[in-house]
Amino acid sequence: MTSMLREIWIFFRRDLYIALTYRTAFLFEAIEALFGVAMLFYVARFVESPQLHHSLPHGETYFSFSLIGFVFLDYLNAAMDSFDRSLMEARDSGTLEHLLVTQTSLPVILAGSAIYPFVASTVRIAVYLSWGAVLFGFPLGEANWAAVLLVLIATLLAFSGLGILSASYLLLFKRGNPAKWFFLGLSSLVGGMLFPISVLPDWLQLVARLNPVTYALDAMRAALLVGDGFHTVWRPLVVLLLFAAILLPISVAVFARSLRRTKMTGTLMHR
Amino acid sequence: MPEAAIAVVSLEKSFPPARSGWRALLQPFEKPTVMALAGISLEVRPGEALALLGANGAGKSTLLRILATLVLPTKGRAHIAGHDAVRDPGAVRRQLGYHAGSDSGFYARLTCRENLRFFGSLNQISGAAAARRISQLAAQFHLEESLDRQVRTLSSGTVQRLSLARALLHQPRVLLLDEPTRSLDAIGAAEFRHFLKSEVLGRDETTLLFASHALSEIELLADRIAVLDAGRLLACGSLADLKHRTGTASLEGAFLRLTGRSAHMAVGDFSQ
Repeated sequence: MTSMLREIWIFFRRDLYIALTYRTAFLFEAIEALFGVAMLFYVARFVESPQLHHSLPHGETYFSFSLIGFVFLDYLNAAMDSFDRSLMEARDSGTLEHLLVTQTSLPVILAGSAIYPFVASTVRIAVYLSWGAVLFGFPLGEANWAAVLLVLIATLLAFSGLGILSASYLLLFKRGNPAKWFFLGLSSLVGGMLFPISVLPDWLQLVARLNPVTYALDAMRAALLVGDGFHTVWRPLVVLLLFAAILLPISVAVFARSLRRTKMTGTLMHR
Repeated sequence: MPEAAIAVVSLEKSFPPARSGWRALLQPFEKPTVMALAGISLEVRPGEALALLGANGAGKSTLLRILATLVLPTKGRAHIAGHDAVRDPGAVRRQLGYHAGSDSGFYARLTCRENLRFFGSLNQISGAAAARRISQLAAQFHLEESLDRQVRTLSSGTVQRLSLARALLHQPRVLLLDEPTRSLDAIGAAEFRHFLKSEVLGRDETTLLFASHALSEIELLADRIAVLDAGRLLACGSLADLKHRTGTASLEGAFLRLTGRSAHMAVGDFSQ
């Protein structure tokens, strides 16, 4: 276990060192976040009404509601994108073969390659929320940070499985991320990111209830805006962890089989 | 008799045919019908340098990639230091260093030291031991001045030396090189060969299996030469042995005669 964590840390350090060679990118990302938050703020100001206010689940402003949905989408994107993006970069730079001839196991290579994007995405969430709080009155004072962290970790575990499935697809078919297209598309519509699911037709609300993103977002909003603790967020946490428990072993097995297949067909480095 | 460092027994490998357009979608599931290796058997003794010589498509890279656990064979067995490349790839990877001349496979924005430290850690060398080994290899491979420079700023020759240093970082018993001088100019290639000869071969009982098209490279480095053609092993022996067997005066002549290529192509052997 210690050795595995050490190896994952090695990957994180590698990606951090690479990221630090692009120092201005951090600045531009922070500015980009500011524009994103400002846009949401003015959209909210435009659509805000007492009726809208009352229809939101925790009685929050539309700005708070949409900002959390927006940053959560970014997080979901990182969870589902990191694996296949790392794989594609490794393949294109020629490092993939050299990683695979080391003594490090495949699950560690996978987890290690994804850890930096996850951490970077968490930092990005903090930047978005900080801009929101400092400039536009996003209420951070009520947040229960332990519960927020739990929800983020559970979300990460739950959706990493889909990310690994996408990486398996990339190994076999070389381009494309259908799991991401489908799931992010679906979640943008029925996940309750920018509007409450109560505005959807009944049958779509049913789909929303089957989507773990809905639970994750609900828990995130409860923890961030109302300061709800474990006693409230445990239910969505269980749903997310159940999703992870089913999907992660399946996705790692599918990835191992896809890798074996590419080793059979000799297409590991094909683009 | 010591155990062979590399042993390949009746090794066969077939690939699915290449497809384009929408049929490429089915390629991962196509039947393998294109034969790359057709039942090759050979052994390499510990400390020996064996060259794989053959035209493009002869099966050299496929053989190296099977031994490096990057490609799975269709039939037959491949062993490194007694470990089966299919059944026990982890143990095989502990024994080998792999370097392909076609790509560098480094993180371009990291320094040489950071790259070596990263790959060393993944091969279970870290901390003080890694620092010592990196310094030792840097001195041996004349990389001291490049160690703290980003890889993207280095010349091809330096990157090739760095790649070889990476392959040797964990002191593997077997070194696999796939056309190690392919991307170097004539001077860089000559330097690299002499460097390999003086700094790697004969040290630490390292066994070398390498593929090359450069006949001078093979003559300089190899103890024995395996001639491959269309996935078949045509002959395996020392340079003198191959020349004697084919009645020719050069490796080029021996190669052309063994592969049945037109005789007039070998200047010096066949033109008289």
